Amino acid sequence: MKLDPILLEILYHKVKAATEEMSITLARTARTTYVKEASDFGTALATLGGKFFAYPETLGVSGFLDLDCSVSIAAVPDLEPGDVIITNHPYDSGGLSTHMPDLQLIRPYFHDGKIVCYGWDFVHSSDIGGGVPSSISPSFSELFQEGLQIPPMKLARKGELNRDFLAFYRANCRIPETNMGDIRAMLAALEIGERRVSEIVAAHGVETFMQAQIDLAEYAKAKAREVQRKLPDGVYEFWDLMDDDFATKIPIRIRLRMTVADGLIHLDFDGTDPQVLAAYNIPTGGIRHPWLTLKLMHFIASYDRTVPLNYGLFENITVNVPKGTVINPEYPAAVGVRHATAIRVNDALVGAIAKAMPGLVPAPSGGTVVPTVLAEQNPTTGTRNVMVLQSLVGGTGARKGADGVDGRDSGLANLHNTPIERSEEDAAVQIEIYGLRPDSGGPGQWRGGTGLLFGFKILQEGSAVLGRGLERMVFRPWGLGGGKPGATARVVLNLGTPEERDLGKLDMYLAKKGDVVTFLTAGGGGFGDPFARDIDLVVRDVALGYVTEAGAKRDYGVVVRDGVLDKAATDALRNAPRAVAKESDFDFGPERPIWEQVFDDAAMTRLNKALLALPVAARHQQRRALFADVCPRLPEIFTIGMQAVIDDPKAQRQRLLAGIEKLEMRVAAVAAE
Amino acid sequence: MQARCRIGIDVGGTFTDFVMADLANGKFYYHKEPSVPKDPSRAVELGIAALVASAGLPFSAVELVVHGTTIGLNAIIQRRGARVALVVSPGNRDVMDLARSRMPNSYDFTAPREAPLIARDLVFEVPARMRASGEIVRRPTAAEYESLVASLRAAKVDAVAVMLLNSYRDRTLEAGLAADLRKSLPGTLVTESAELWPEVREYERALVAALNAYIHPLMESYFERLKTRLAALGLAAPIYITANNGGSLGLETARERPIDTILSGPASGVVAAARVAAPGNRAKLITIDMGGTSTDIAVCVAGEPEFTTATNVGDFPLMLPVVNVGAIGAGGGSILWVDAQGVLKVGPESAGADPGPACYGRGATRPAITDCYLVTGILDPTRFLGGRMTLDKAAAEKALDAIGEKIGLTGPDRALRAAASALRVATSKMATETSKLMARRGLDPREFALLAYGGAGPTQANLLAEEALLSEVVVPLAPGTFCALGAILADVRRDYLRATRTTIGRDAAEMASLMKAVAEVEQEALVWVAAEGELIGEHQLEIAFDMRYPGQAYDLRVSVPPAERTAIDQEKLVALFHTEHARHYGFADTASPVQVKNLRVRVTGRVAPLKLAAAEAKEAPVPIAHRRVYDRTGWVEAAVYTRGQLGAGAKIAGPAIVEQADTTVWILAGWVAAVDPVGNLILTRAA
Repeated sequence: MKLDPILLEILYHKVKAATEEMSITLARTARTTYVKEASDFGTALATLGGKFFAYPETLGVSGFLDLDCSVSIAAVPDLEPGDVIITNHPYDSGGLSTHMPDLQLIRPYFHDGKIVCYGWDFVHSSDIGGGVPSSISPSFSELFQEGLQIPPMKLARKGELNRDFLAFYRANCRIPETNMGDIRAMLAALEIGERRVSEIVAAHGVETFMQAQIDLAEYAKAKAREVQRKLPDGVYEFWDLMDDDFATKIPIRIRLRMTVADGLIHLDFDGTDPQVLAAYNIPTGGIRHPWLTLKLMHFIASYDRTVPLNYGLFENITVNVPKGTVINPEYPAAVGVRHATAIRVNDALVGAIAKAMPGLVPAPSGGTVVPTVLAEQNPTTGTRNVMVLQSLVGGTGARKGADGVDGRDSGLANLHNTPIERSEEDAAVQIEIYGLRPDSGGPGQWRGGTGLLFGFKILQEGSAVLGRGLERMVFRPWGLGGGKPGATARVVLNLGTPEERDLGKLDMYLAKKGDVVTFLTAGGGGFGDPFARDIDLVVRDVALGYVTEAGAKRDYGVVVRDGVLDKAATDALRNAPRAVAKESDFDFGPERPIWEQVFDDAAMTRLNKALLALPVAARHQQRRALFADVCPRLPEIFTIGMQAVIDDPKAQRQRLLAGIEKLEMRVAAVAAE
Repeated sequence: MQARCRIGIDVGGTFTDFVMADLANGKFYYHKEPSVPKDPSRAVELGIAALVASAGLPFSAVELVVHGTTIGLNAIIQRRGARVALVVSPGNRDVMDLARSRMPNSYDFTAPREAPLIARDLVFEVPARMRASGEIVRRPTAAEYESLVASLRAAKVDAVAVMLLNSYRDRTLEAGLAADLRKSLPGTLVTESAELWPEVREYERALVAALNAYIHPLMESYFERLKTRLAALGLAAPIYITANNGGSLGLETARERPIDTILSGPASGVVAAARVAAPGNRAKLITIDMGGTSTDIAVCVAGEPEFTTATNVGDFPLMLPVVNVGAIGAGGGSILWVDAQGVLKVGPESAGADPGPACYGRGATRPAITDCYLVTGILDPTRFLGGRMTLDKAAAEKALDAIGEKIGLTGPDRALRAAASALRVATSKMATETSKLMARRGLDPREFALLAYGGAGPTQANLLAEEALLSEVVVPLAPGTFCALGAILADVRRDYLRATRTTIGRDAAEMASLMKAVAEVEQEALVWVAAEGELIGEHQLEIAFDMRYPGQAYDLRVSVPPAERTAIDQEKLVALFHTEHARHYGFADTASPVQVKNLRVRVTGRVAPLKLAAAEAKEAPVPIAHRRVYDRTGWVEAAVYTRGQLGAGAKIAGPAIVEQADTTVWILAGWVAAVDPVGNLILTRAA
């Protein structure tokens, strides 16, 4: 670092404040509800290389710190003062935009005729055209269904807006006035950024300003490396599964091999499943990308709360992301719901870090961010009124020394919930329960956070309930260090009545008046041997209702009757001989081991290697055919369970290996041609 | 003797501050009394006695006592309040646990969530349910009610808060249950959410009821002791309590609604600022209150503080209208430290009052901002706080020297340069925070004067003004007792809200029903204000509406201009909304009907205004001393004055220091200071 540390600290606050003022300006005037309700927007200052050297601390999306503008900037040559680049293209922007409603603007800031940095901002627009209002559906398979594609181009030249572009743009969105409001807000934010940058340059000189960009990144890099050195050198392999890919019931597997050497980390995602025919693909461009490193950022920021927020934080990390996988798909794979997959990428990182050093990061959370949506039909006009009744998450996982958080999870986005009274004002429902789900937190010496219970009665005929993206219904949030997994998610009709039945993985349920639909989200994983949990804490959990008396006995060996501890019975249970838990233990629950009797790591890695050698269209067909052959009952998994799907593991495994061999021969034949 | 004096009191953690204004001769008396944390009313009694005696007046000369206190706030922050149960509708037991479901930090997974104000085992569901329409779909049976009562008795609580879903729409179900509980549980305080504040959003409304109950017993006993003590002194004057909204409440109202008083301390300071700066026609003010742990900031436009309905009390959101006060950074006690990479940081940890900064000589080895003022020469170790406290400069230098070493400084003046560096870092951060705060409001800071109070405010203000490009600094006469002054400048004031379900712009009947509701609330407000005491002269009503286009997720608040209040009709109100919408969002959908979600009424009972005394003219001031100050990058020779030397119209040029009993004013080179007609010191850039 060349600048003196006082000046560096001052400049850090000034450039950060500049991006925060940009955010404030944007949030104050933007019109999309995503900005106001979900803070789904961002602002930053980027280096000449297109990386963010200044980023807001508490405004907007925290996770996009390591985005890269360089591909979008290189695509638009001859930038002049007053020019603004626009793009939303997941592929042509090099992964800057990760789904198309995210409109990105970049503006070069000049001093004495030379670019000194770039201002960047984005908002999640309410609509960008495509097959459905709001442009996002997991059912889409191609970008063309997801709306208007805007490769990087000039939105403004020398301060003059490109009217032709805007006319074209407006014609391709459902609510052009709202979108235009968002663009104006983004432009205003970029102007504020330019003003602040020129003030900083005037106060400190251009050389200092340019040097600060380098020094701040080096400073962050040095701090981040100190934290990463907590992880011992070595190679750590881990993989995790999403229940299904929406288009089929085949799980999506994220595979990670993490190599640590003196605080430097390499993430190799070789062996990860191919891209899917649904909107779950993450367009990373195959580079180090925020969606791949989010958990490492949380890890670093948790253990050094003063690390400056800039790309330097990630400079000790390298990646390998094979092309054609679900985390580096080929154009034009759909990407709208890429955040659902990102949660499982997070979990894969958690697993690898836990293998390196158990207890540092929390066990996985409930692993879902799902909007419960009600679509009502107006009886007279027939028009549909669609509204989100509640955004549901699971609880967070436990870590060494701390329980998970009940019913909250900021792992992907730190959203606030919707008050019951607000939902009931707008929708013909009566919310019967919105609370914590007892016994759902993974048992452990430190307990996983409980999931949520959200149930509502339908008060009007013709209503449909949607819960797309609900996860962890099959594969549980696992436990660590002797801790147990959290309970799986469920959706139940008329819970607690004789008519109770599981609705399985809900796409759309056409409800009758009087139906009560209840969502139960997964709890976080536990940490440490539950029988080692402090008895007083278990008694307290029972008193507060987070754990039932039955659960306390079964999971913790603590006997509580009518709120009173039975010490003798507890001692008897706890002193009985059992297996000793190790800090390096993982407990996935029964489903994953059953699945992996057939689909183990070696076979899946081989399969994916063969699949990736085929053309994209053939991959999907071959994969589907193979799973249908091996597991004919897989489509029913959400109602019949894992054991019924893997009913003859030996034979199924033979069919799988035979299928892979056939594929490999086909690949070899193609290669020979 | 004719009653002619008003006494303002602000109870703080360390000191209880007093200001007395004698309306007969315009004289002001100031006093600081060490607080008595075990029984704060004792310090009030002692202070009033000392103050009245110093003026040579009998207690019968006092016509009004206005009192601000942080007892309630501290109880909430330190979680020392009453044992409270919460009664809710079925399925809503976790309203406190879930809160709004956000985590305090998006990056740091070790940051814990807040502990709920009321734990889950003290939240009880009762089968009482209202729909959003106001329709009651479930009432508890006698057996269900008795089971609730039994649970509440077994829980041995001091107070019960009741919040039933949708009671904001119609409070009858909630009120009926609360009335029954009062009968069944004699001696237990029962609060109702909609009675206190009938606004939609169950968590926030439950908090209003629960927080009110949580601090009620504590405040009740405090008010009772205060009343008894003052009566014993022979002081018959009415007692008012300052409120969150910058006004004050009669003691009886404050006893019922202590929640309305918890943020009154900071609010009073801002009220004082707005009034004190008014003679110079400074309509636009940024106020900073720099104390030990932080620096608070607020904005006044057109002589009125800015309000907000989204603030926090400790870990909890508060939906009531309050004067908008935010934090921008370090206080005098904020600790300096150096990270592993050799970068200097200021705060957020604070040295507090004990051990305090290193220079307090109570054994602290880590330096704080106050140590930097001392080492750079801005403070005189023998004349700090009018000489009431001697500072240990050697201890400050030693602590700062260690910081200098860690950031790689060399040479004999390492401590000095470390101190100057820390002030640069702290000032720069405050300036960027100020700039952001103004951006949030869409205001241009260059149009604003900076008014500084609190013990360290006037010491830091000029540094901040220079960095943030503000053009003027105002230092009032007694910045150390400013919140107490605000108490006696406040009017009686209360806010009301009603939820409405009106869509206007379609037919006149809906507007008529809206205006009928307004009239009802206004009537309630008028009845209240009429009973708040004889000192109140004229009163004023203000109305506002929370409005939106159908389908929008957020309301926009539309205030009706005072001149339009009685003449407002559908056309005018809709036009006001469209205009406001266009101002915020750049467009208005004039063809659309408009929904009105809430109506708001504010009543202000004017207390006869205090005239600030004209400053005396005095001889042109002659410096009592000169001393060297290390100002940012080098030494300057500063003239030292006492505040008492500076009469009306006096002018001094920076670099200069003005010492007074409650603070030290630092005036930079390139700035001049002049005394305005009411005694404020006004700093501006030299021409």
